[in-house]
Amino acid sequence: MSPRSVRGWFAAALVMVPLVVAVLGPLLPYDARPGLPYSSEGALGTDGLGRDVLGLLLVGGRSALGMAIGAVVLAYVVGGLIGLTAASTRHRWLDEGMMRPLDVLLPLPSLLVISVVAVGWRASALAITVAVAMVNVPTVARLVRAAALDAASGPVVEALRMQRESWCTIQLGYVGRSVLGPVAADLGTRITLAVFLVASVNFLGLGLSPTAPDWAVSVSRNREGLLLQPWSVLAPALLLVSFTLGFNLLADRLVHRSRRLVDSAR
Amino acid sequence: MRSYAAQRAGLAVVQLAVLSVLVFVLTSLLPGDAADLRFTETLTPSQVAALRGELGLDQPPVERFVHWLGNVLTGDLGTSLISGGPVVDIVRHSIGATLVLTLATLAIVVPLAVALGIVMGTRENGRVDRTITSITLALSAIPDFVIAVVLVAVFSLKLGWLPATWIGGNLLSSPALLILPIAVLFGRTVCLLSRQVRAGTVAALNAEYVTQARRLGIPRRQLLLRHVLPNAAVPGVQELARTGDTLLGGVLVVEAIFAIPGFATALVDGVETRDIPTVQGLTLVLAIAALLINLGADLVCNRLVPRTALLR
Repeated sequence: MSPRSVRGWFAAALVMVPLVVAVLGPLLPYDARPGLPYSSEGALGTDGLGRDVLGLLLVGGRSALGMAIGAVVLAYVVGGLIGLTAASTRHRWLDEGMMRPLDVLLPLPSLLVISVVAVGWRASALAITVAVAMVNVPTVARLVRAAALDAASGPVVEALRMQRESWCTIQLGYVGRSVLGPVAADLGTRITLAVFLVASVNFLGLGLSPTAPDWAVSVSRNREGLLLQPWSVLAPALLLVSFTLGFNLLADRLVHRSRRLVDSAR
Repeated sequence: MRSYAAQRAGLAVVQLAVLSVLVFVLTSLLPGDAADLRFTETLTPSQVAALRGELGLDQPPVERFVHWLGNVLTGDLGTSLISGGPVVDIVRHSIGATLVLTLATLAIVVPLAVALGIVMGTRENGRVDRTITSITLALSAIPDFVIAVVLVAVFSLKLGWLPATWIGGNLLSSPALLILPIAVLFGRTVCLLSRQVRAGTVAALNAEYVTQARRLGIPRRQLLLRHVLPNAAVPGVQELARTGDTLLGGVLVVEAIFAIPGFATALVDGVETRDIPTVQGLTLVLAIAALLINLGADLVCNRLVPRTALLR
């Protein structure tokens, strides 16, 4: 294997390990026995409340990663539709009417919005997910619009229109596909950012309840015990970092690859 | 140039108007208000209703908004429902620590990021570039609070070199208090910024006008400083405006971890106690700050590389 593909597999593995733990963890028949606070009983010891760290890790990934991934998917559905419509419409007022309001929203500090929503609907994972999605919608819409503009005004779309293809076939089938490259590159950094936002809100104690097994909440709750029982903090932190680092590396590779494609096409 | 500035300022005014409505709507939407959060245990429902009337919480939202906006325009952010003092005082007391933290971080980050970005960009794909790129890529993937927790454990709990939490006193007179918080904020911002400056430098170096300038025999130093840097700075300045958002999130986390009585701490307290006027005041000040940073960044970019079509 070339060094390049080795690095690719390494990045993929970094993403897959936390993902597998998060998805399959809750299904494992793991017998978590409570013990003394910060003791070394069990595979990874216990946390500040005497709970088994490994047992918590196995069930804490769904909220930590699920909320972030859900938010990014939602942001792409809403922002992507806005961006595609704005890029493909022949009415300038519709384009302006959809993109201008988003320009106005851009400078709104994201953690602020999410904190207010998170506290208002305390412990509601859905509310936090929607809030994280909404602060991402303006930038996603901009990105998709910019990426779709060339394809949407090209001769292929004209031809498809003349053949009376439906809006869905043209936009999602043809224009949407041409957007995939930039979107894939953006996805890595955006997921990282979403994980950060969700984790920060939970870390601050504004989101999920302070006893939730969520990885970010675990880091926050056990931080005084870092020297007593390092794994109670380091294990959830490492899983979070592995996920974001892996996505960052993958995104970086995608950016390089698309740039090489563009260069070779010239 | 002037018409661009006027256009951009016009957009900022519209943004300000929309943001003030948004701030009010978002904070008003919070379920449960200060009246029933604080007093349900000690007061009867009729007393709670009376208190709500006193606080103006029973009026229709539109009326409350007009009232609030009128006061804000005259510089009155209202009265805190918890402390009973003016919100302006809360803003004044908490803004200092946050400003010191943010400005000190930026003072270190910006020069370093520009230098790193140029070093990387002028050695595109060389060993130095690849090494720094890998390090920044890895560093930017670590959440602020993880860095903070580890730094505190190592440098204050284990080694005892630096204070772990705010112990009172002035941030400026005891710089030791600032070292760990800034170290936390430093990592991600420097990575994000230097990557943008690098990309800008690479793009500028490959541009035709630089090739032309080289042919004319302009010395390398002058070429870099006078011709490449202004163009390379554009993505950097725009990223700096966006970094404001990242930095604010970081400041929120850092203030919570180190128990620094700044803006974020006041905000979190206000949200938790449903002290709506305080939350509204603080949020508005933050939103205006973010707005001004964006406005400034766009104007600086336009000055560096005048283009007419920056606004669609």
